[in-house]
Amino acid sequence: MRDRDLVRRSSPGARLRTLHAQGRLATGYPDLRELLADAGPDELDFAGRVLAPLDPDEVLGHHPETPTVRIAVTGRGTVGDVVPALTGQLARHGILARTRVCGAGGYLGDLADPGSPLYTHAPDVTLCVLDPLTVWDKVAAPWQPIEVSVAAERQRKALGELAATHAACAPPGATLVLNTVPLLHRFTHQLTSLAQRAELGGLWRQFNADLLYMARPSDGLAVLDLEPVTSAGARADEPRLGAYADAHCTAQLLTGYAREAAHLIRGLRGQAKKCLVLDLDGTLWDGVLAEDGPEGVTAAGSLRGAAFGAFQHTVKQLAAQGVLLAVCSKNDPQDVARALAEHPEFPLSADDFVTVVADWGSKAEGVHTIAERLGIAPEAVVFADDTPFERETVRAGVPGAAVVPLDSEPALHAERLLADGWFDTPALTDEDRLRPVRYAQRAARERFEAGSADYRAFLDSLDLRVEISPPYEHELARLAQLSLRTNRFNLTGERLSTEQVRQRAAAPGAVVLAVRAADRFGDDGVVGAVFARAGAGRLSVDNLVLSCRVLGRGIEDATVSGLLRAAREAGFTAVHARWSPTRANGALRTLWPQHGFTTIGGPGTATEIRFRHSLRRLGPVPGHLRLRLRLPDERQPAVPRGGR
Amino acid sequence: MRTVEELIELANTHLGTALAPADAAAELTELAEWDSVHLLRLVALLEHELGRPVPVDAVLQARSLRDIWAVAVGA
Repeated sequence: MRDRDLVRRSSPGARLRTLHAQGRLATGYPDLRELLADAGPDELDFAGRVLAPLDPDEVLGHHPETPTVRIAVTGRGTVGDVVPALTGQLARHGILARTRVCGAGGYLGDLADPGSPLYTHAPDVTLCVLDPLTVWDKVAAPWQPIEVSVAAERQRKALGELAATHAACAPPGATLVLNTVPLLHRFTHQLTSLAQRAELGGLWRQFNADLLYMARPSDGLAVLDLEPVTSAGARADEPRLGAYADAHCTAQLLTGYAREAAHLIRGLRGQAKKCLVLDLDGTLWDGVLAEDGPEGVTAAGSLRGAAFGAFQHTVKQLAAQGVLLAVCSKNDPQDVARALAEHPEFPLSADDFVTVVADWGSKAEGVHTIAERLGIAPEAVVFADDTPFERETVRAGVPGAAVVPLDSEPALHAERLLADGWFDTPALTDEDRLRPVRYAQRAARERFEAGSADYRAFLDSLDLRVEISPPYEHELARLAQLSLRTNRFNLTGERLSTEQVRQRAAAPGAVVLAVRAADRFGDDGVVGAVFARAGAGRLSVDNLVLSCRVLGRGIEDATVSGLLRAAREAGFTAVHARWSPTRANGALRTLWPQHGFTTIGGPGTATEIRFRHSLRRLGPVPGHLRLRLRLPDERQPAVPRGGR
Repeated sequence: MRTVEELIELANTHLGTALAPADAAAELTELAEWDSVHLLRLVALLEHELGRPVPVDAVLQARSLRDIWAVAVGA
């Protein structure tokens, strides 16, 4: 048996130790995501400690495509201990951290000075860890609650100003992360008057609330709420290490912080999962469908049944925010259909699921089938099942998909499902809320297509309308989301935050366009974006992104043809465009040549091919759709305010 | 924990260091394998291993692994 096989057969913790002992953490980096997926606190701590000293360049040398995030860490007191925890948590999500810890205790200097090492590091994310001594280091005994209130408000204002400096000095799109500050017993109980103690409690919550209200996660300022971390059992302060090393946070608090921060970073990178695939027996209801029959399964009416019902409510809550729900069950399809239809007392009904796979095949295949039906990548799936065998099957057969370990205790299902924030995103767009409806329309469209004699006739019958014009203010977040989340149809893989999209659109000569589509099955809303610039008589397309949901309907061809026509009408003499290969966009290499572009540069650079169109001969806009395309009018502001 | 070697073993197991028994007397600042953030974690590991609190101020001021072991076990 080869070493590698031996390593594969041992437990994840042992495999991690083997990689470390053999000095193969860098070469084995892509395996860490799977190894750490279900790791316990000790294993994660160990992983963080051995990964933190690892040179990111060594990992990138072996695996150049590893997603990397530049992180600056600062804070009040000694907070460097957050680095191992954060490194481990990010590795769990396949993200490589390039971290710089700035001056201990000096977050004011780090953040206020544009020339500080913090800004020199050019962070994507700056973590300013506010420990439990925050504010209290400015309060001298004897004190009254009012003095704490004044110090807290001063602190909050200072943080607001530092956030503004960060927005100006950190790279575009960077995010500053603050956090709420836990209130310690040893401060509240220095007040012997219960009335004053209540006042302190109130004003402290106000301070934390004001911090939370400052959060604009899409626009560069996030605030982590640590109350759920401490209320789940993490003690906040370590008095001895606080007194002797100015390290006031406990390891548990920093671990909880790091976990939340990693989820935030994943969300900022647009890596939120899109679809929740659920098992049925033991996951959504009590009972075994094949044995108890459709009438025999319960999610209400008994103690255990009600616990399943509560879990269904949690799932429904996620669906209301755009998470696509699907079923993958080993059962006969007609039994599943009956069970979903015949239980009006269940919070979830058949309509809540965008697709159902019920058969006796492998669940890994089931997940692939669901992803294919929805037009999403299999790794955008979260799979929840109470059967270990099924989870292992999916883990092995669908690399990159998240697998949620449920067990026989339904009262813990919700906590397990939400533990990793798989669906967290900086802000919800209108599109998110409507996504399940859009996918239902898509399913109706596909059924219709299956019934059409040929594809051409199907397209003709869609009554497809495409409108392309500068984005409205309320569409900017959606454009950012498309740039963050599209993979297959993203010509360069460039990711932009909402703020970056706004800046792009407002820049002189900017041609930023939203692509909207609608057909007889419904309005798809904003489905794509064009990022281009006008200058020197030519239009340069920096990137073009399109939702996978609408591919195959000719919208991509209409966008390119329409853009060429509009460019010629506007008096441009040429259109330039580019394509940079990413893991998923290989099929787009021929997009520009298909529309009459000639290659003018690359692949000498290996990372980009450039194209040019002389606008002499233009292809037709596909005949099955109606296209309206308007370039930005120089007399109008680049980003019009208000609704459509 | 009867010997400093056991302390070294504890560190290697949990912190991923590759410390050798010969490192026991070396200045912590001289040890390439040692990082100051390890010390805070080591306090918790020691207390868990010994089942009782250790004098944190003395551990933090220790200059070698042998010093740490000595103050931790009260030798």
